Amino acid sequence: MIYIIDHQDSFTHNVVHQFESFDNVVCNNYNEINENKLNNADVIVLSPGPGAPKNYPITSNIYKKFKGKKKIIGICLGFQQILYCEKGKIIEQNKIYHGYQSQIKVTSKKSLFKKNHKFKVGRYHSLKLKEPFTAKNFEITMRCAISNTAMAIENNKEKVYGFQFHPESFLTENGNLLIKKILSA
Amino acid sequence: MTKINHLKKIAKLNKSFIIYKSDKGFDLYTDFSKKIILTNSNIKNFINKATQFKFKKKETDIFIGFFGYEILNNLIGVKVKKQKGLKFPKGIFYKPETKIKLQNKLDYKNLELIKSNKPFKININKASYKVIFDKFKKKIKSGETYQIKVCTKYSNKAKIDALDFFCRLVKTNVAPEAFMIKDKNYSIISCSPENLINKKNDFITTKPIAGTLKKTPKLDKTKALAFFRKNLKETKEHNMIVDMERSDLSKICKSGTVKILKKKIIEEYKDLYHYVSLISGKIKNNISSLDIIKAMMPGGSVIGCPKISTLNLLNNQEKESRNIYTGSFGYIKFNGDMRFNIIIRAILNYKNRSEISVASGVVIDSNAKHEFNENYIKAKALIDLYK
Repeated sequence: MIYIIDHQDSFTHNVVHQFESFDNVVCNNYNEINENKLNNADVIVLSPGPGAPKNYPITSNIYKKFKGKKKIIGICLGFQQILYCEKGKIIEQNKIYHGYQSQIKVTSKKSLFKKNHKFKVGRYHSLKLKEPFTAKNFEITMRCAISNTAMAIENNKEKVYGFQFHPESFLTENGNLLIKKILSA
Repeated sequence: MTKINHLKKIAKLNKSFIIYKSDKGFDLYTDFSKKIILTNSNIKNFINKATQFKFKKKETDIFIGFFGYEILNNLIGVKVKKQKGLKFPKGIFYKPETKIKLQNKLDYKNLELIKSNKPFKININKASYKVIFDKFKKKIKSGETYQIKVCTKYSNKAKIDALDFFCRLVKTNVAPEAFMIKDKNYSIISCSPENLINKKNDFITTKPIAGTLKKTPKLDKTKALAFFRKNLKETKEHNMIVDMERSDLSKICKSGTVKILKKKIIEEYKDLYHYVSLISGKIKNNISSLDIIKAMMPGGSVIGCPKISTLNLLNNQEKESRNIYTGSFGYIKFNGDMRFNIIIRAILNYKNRSEISVASGVVIDSNAKHEFNENYIKAKALIDLYK
């Protein structure tokens, strides 16, 4: 079962439908967590949402508790949430991407995806990761083809994955395939 | 055979009535046997009960009316602080006993000229609009909202003949969701272009509009499409609305059934072009009318995104009640089928005061002066009716 933590976003249910094509999904608001179901989940998904990771301490605690024990996938704010918990700095960017389709590139050999593969994705973020960023077992694996902003992280050892873009957006090419691969990793 | 002029007749009888745009013309509803004034405490009960009456396949087996903005916020647990305003009901629904089909051309002339209209006043001037605008831009930078629609309101003292207003309005602007309500103490006249819910059996569609362009002799449909495709700001706003509406539908629809039937197309109207998408889904079993209304309302395209956090920002900012503006008008049939629009481009006349609200979007690359003027253009067609 996949447990999605909803940060009250207007895209969360697209995420739900996307994951439902692979497994059963339970989706709850971040401040109405069902502990029992969360404990029983195989995968935890941190949804997109407004604001910054520091606004969601409950989610930070869940991440720290289950890291290494369950597969964790973060999308947009969820991606930033993972980075924030790994001591990364999340900052405002000059150019803001809300409803923006842009091309990204797989930049790391350690990725589950083929290096140098390029594809189009949908983006909704005003914040980004400040670099340089290093954390044990974490690798930045995708970047914006133009601005070089970090677009994906993978930690294949502890099974933690995150996307700054939205795999569930209609603007993202092959979003389902992407999720399928992460879920079977 | 003489053709009855239903409009003349109904105006003379001084009855309450509703007119709503249909596929081929207009539908006139009257002879109301029930009138339900909605409050935060009776709304759930009303929606749940609306579909429990026996459906005898009569065309009048419906409740028709509107939900105001505030009651829809309350329904989804978003607070609206005490605001100034007309103290107009939060929502009203009627059970009609008569439905008459009317043609597209509405023929009505008012007999006595009413000339007691005062000039319109705006509630937020250009300077204060800019302050609000800049404040919200900061909120976009910090990620609290991705897009937010700031509302301004024009109001005046006026006695109006609502039917005359409506007939003149639809003469120049046959909007697909146009409607009017005439009751004893109030009237609403709207040329809303936007359908929010169209539900038949388990099939539901929503048709968000994001992007409007005024028609000129040089600008044909192809050029209008090219304009929107090239315009990054319009494209981003539209993309956002499409993903948001997909998500709203996904709350109530079977997994994997939510589809974009028409993606970013141009619809042509008499004076303007709209940039439109059509999204559909198949409703899950055990979903009630109340679930559907809560998932879809208030309509996202006129609020901003993400919905909850943006509504909270708006409600903290706005000192005056939106009343009907960005609420929804439409009907629920006894069998659960529904049609609802988003109330925009509307006049509310209550206690001899008229108000017209308009809004336009703040995204990161919009400009305060441009949006302020855009608001006036949106209100102008309605303000002109008072001349």
